Amino acid sequence: MSSQQQTFSLWQQTSLITSTLIGVGVLTLPRTTSAILYEAGWMSPLFGSIVAFVSVWMIAKLSQHFPGMTFIEYSTIVWGAKKNSRMGKWLSLPWIILYLGFMYLSTAIVSRIFGEVVVTSVLLDTPLEVIIITMFLLAFILSLHDLEVVARINELLLPMILFPLLFIAFASFQKAEWNNLLPLFRASGSSLIKGAYEAIYSFSGYEIMLIFFAYAHENQSKVRAGFYGIAMGMFVYTLIVVAGIVVFGYEELQRVAWPTLELVKTTQVPGLILERLESAFLAVWVTAVFTTVANAYYAVVYGLRQLFNRGLGFQRLISAIMFIPLYYIALWPQNIVEMFRASSYLGIYSLILNLGIPALYLTMLFFRGVGRKQKERNADG
Amino acid sequence: MSQFWKAWQKRKDTLQEKALHHHTDRSMENISDIELSLVIDENIMMIEKGLGDCDDLVIRRFRDKRDTDCAIVFLDGMVDRNIISEFIITYMTNPQIPVDLPASNELESTDGLRQVIRNVLSGTAVLMRNGESKAYLNNTRGWDRRSVDEPQTESVVRGPRDGFCETLCVNSALIRFRLKDPNLRVRHMVIGQRTQTDIYVMYIEGIAHPPMVQEVLARMEKINVDSILESGYIEQLIQDRRWSPFPQIQNTERPDKVVANLLEGKVGILVDGTPFALIAPAVFSQFYQSPEDYYERFYIATLLRFIRIISISIALLLPSLYIAFSAFHPEMIPSRLVIAMAAGRSTVPFPSLVEALFMELAIEILREASVRLPGPIGPTIGIVGALVVGEAAVSAGLVSPVMVIIVAVTTIGSFASPSYSAAIAIRMLRFPVMLLAGMFGLYGIMLFLIVILIHLSSLKSFGVPYMSPLSPLNLRGMKDLFIRAPHHLLRTRPTMFHVHDEIRMREDEKP
Repeated sequence: MSSQQQTFSLWQQTSLITSTLIGVGVLTLPRTTSAILYEAGWMSPLFGSIVAFVSVWMIAKLSQHFPGMTFIEYSTIVWGAKKNSRMGKWLSLPWIILYLGFMYLSTAIVSRIFGEVVVTSVLLDTPLEVIIITMFLLAFILSLHDLEVVARINELLLPMILFPLLFIAFASFQKAEWNNLLPLFRASGSSLIKGAYEAIYSFSGYEIMLIFFAYAHENQSKVRAGFYGIAMGMFVYTLIVVAGIVVFGYEELQRVAWPTLELVKTTQVPGLILERLESAFLAVWVTAVFTTVANAYYAVVYGLRQLFNRGLGFQRLISAIMFIPLYYIALWPQNIVEMFRASSYLGIYSLILNLGIPALYLTMLFFRGVGRKQKERNADG
Repeated sequence: MSQFWKAWQKRKDTLQEKALHHHTDRSMENISDIELSLVIDENIMMIEKGLGDCDDLVIRRFRDKRDTDCAIVFLDGMVDRNIISEFIITYMTNPQIPVDLPASNELESTDGLRQVIRNVLSGTAVLMRNGESKAYLNNTRGWDRRSVDEPQTESVVRGPRDGFCETLCVNSALIRFRLKDPNLRVRHMVIGQRTQTDIYVMYIEGIAHPPMVQEVLARMEKINVDSILESGYIEQLIQDRRWSPFPQIQNTERPDKVVANLLEGKVGILVDGTPFALIAPAVFSQFYQSPEDYYERFYIATLLRFIRIISISIALLLPSLYIAFSAFHPEMIPSRLVIAMAAGRSTVPFPSLVEALFMELAIEILREASVRLPGPIGPTIGIVGALVVGEAAVSAGLVSPVMVIIVAVTTIGSFASPSYSAAIAIRMLRFPVMLLAGMFGLYGIMLFLIVILIHLSSLKSFGVPYMSPLSPLNLRGMKDLFIRAPHHLLRTRPTMFHVHDEIRMREDEKP
């Protein structure tokens, strides 16, 4: 009876992508983009999303060649000879490690950034370690469950992520100075590319679909799901950057660490039921960070489980073990400056990884013609 | 590693197998399963021996026209004496015992001792004759029963007033009376080695998903317990996740609710001896949906659903929000209110967490006490507890006035849920969330909510995800989730229970 739910619907895939990519990036996005593009900062999520679109398209295409298989599983087919599957396993190992390693690191860094925000702005007396550990605990609890739970929890939480953001963006328009956006098209081509690059890291997260696309309900829905997911992220990001620029202006934006949080502080609830909103916003924001951290962590743990070809029990065990190094990685950067630097390194890593791996695999497929054979086999069976 | 793994799995399997095959009739084991003898005295002795010292066992001996020794055996109080007298009179005038004797409503014959004793225990009068190794079982069951009454726990303003009672056949008749569908299937089961409780499993063939029905029946057959005293036993033994705080099977006292759910493709379970029927599978919407929603016009039904959702959220979160706001985020409260709150709290010696826990505990005690108290005193205690103690606690400076309001609203909110057992889950979860709010403020509340949501989305009731149709998203099911769409838009049944006949209303002709 349970077999009919192991597949993800189009909406579940879309919400997986959107909720994973909306994470801590949105808290700093107005500052980082307007640092390069000034008043045209809102263009950078638009241009950054192009890269994400291309990448997610490649990931979806790759997954379409191997329906029902995750990145871990089809890697051995892509790299291996038909008879000698052991060789494929060894040749694909570096790519798998690169991929899982990236998600592992980004789990750590995202929860570190989130912990930093919470500690500096809401829970002033709480140690950073406690916030990080509780966030990991949540990810751990999720990784105890089956795959379908991940899809369902994302589906449930997506409205809880989108609504506060949209509310904040639209509510802050009350204080908007729309002239801050002018002049409209002053940015040069090179600065546009640089600005787009700034936004790319906030789009990363969709690479979890290298694993989760395997469980798509229909093979054809993958590309659409990817596009919808990225498009929703792009819309939210653009809206937030526009709100940041029109409320503060780009000069002021450079002087605040967490511009989106400042945006929240300026908004007022009509009727004055709550006087200040930033604590409430950060509380709701936990869901956004949770979906980013937990989805990535789940993908890592699930990938390891498939790599060793084991069951759910192994997944639970490994997720408990992987915890401990994760904690130390999260506490590695000594201060907020180092943390931002680490995060920008991860941005480069994500760019190379998300474009490189799918492109590499697709070229491999093209030259070896593996995918076609695989498709035929599926058609027969 | 994997060796160990396999060994462990194997051991688990063998243990499970053992448990499955260990299905013996423990209490009936003492009685030897022998054939009845030709001599009536021997038979009576065997029955007396089998039942031990039973002073309510009535053995009425008499001689019929043909001068054969006869005996009627039954348990006092379990039978309708009128039927027995009538039976004896008819028998005396015509001792042929045709199986279709008109005076008796059901007449069967048997020749096994165990069968005889089992029937005597369930209220059958057994007729035996000398020289025959047979016993005639005459269904004379008739004990005093409570009449059909208004349901105590689920009252509605508009809707039928009859509720289930303790007798199985009356309860199933209440359902039949509303649902004259020839496709209604009733499966009889006897569960409980000592209590031998009769159970009906009901579903509508052609609507209910057959594998789901099979699953329910299979799980019920696996039950191997000595007693079923209430449907709660079955609920707890066949639910999917035994450690979950959320009820995965719905219970109700209302026949109309059972019928409505049968029509949605669910399975109803009626248990003898309790007015609470079970409905499986259950989803999260049981927390705030009431049968009344469908009887009233849809505007008010939708509004009431929203009010119930709000009150459930209040029951779960209000005390912890108070703790979080007053201890961690006072800047969020409007400044005038925060001054008033601070003035109220100035005499309170405890942190707000202790204050809230203390008050919530007090209200739980009050609630429990008023359930136990005899009828007329109950409300008095409510007034004394709520008004006098609350007022005195405030003026003594033990709690702040705001806290009293919060506790009162929380308690009232928890009563707004139409299902009592669903409200219990909310009531319990209030305490951990208060503790987390005391530790991390709003962040703690969110942590808790996410954990609960993870748990809820992993829950399944007989293969149906607990949060459906919200997740997995089913737009058609959304019409009857938060809002209650008008009936002419609810033309199909909700699909999440894998119903077979989807159509509820074919053509909608405007009047």
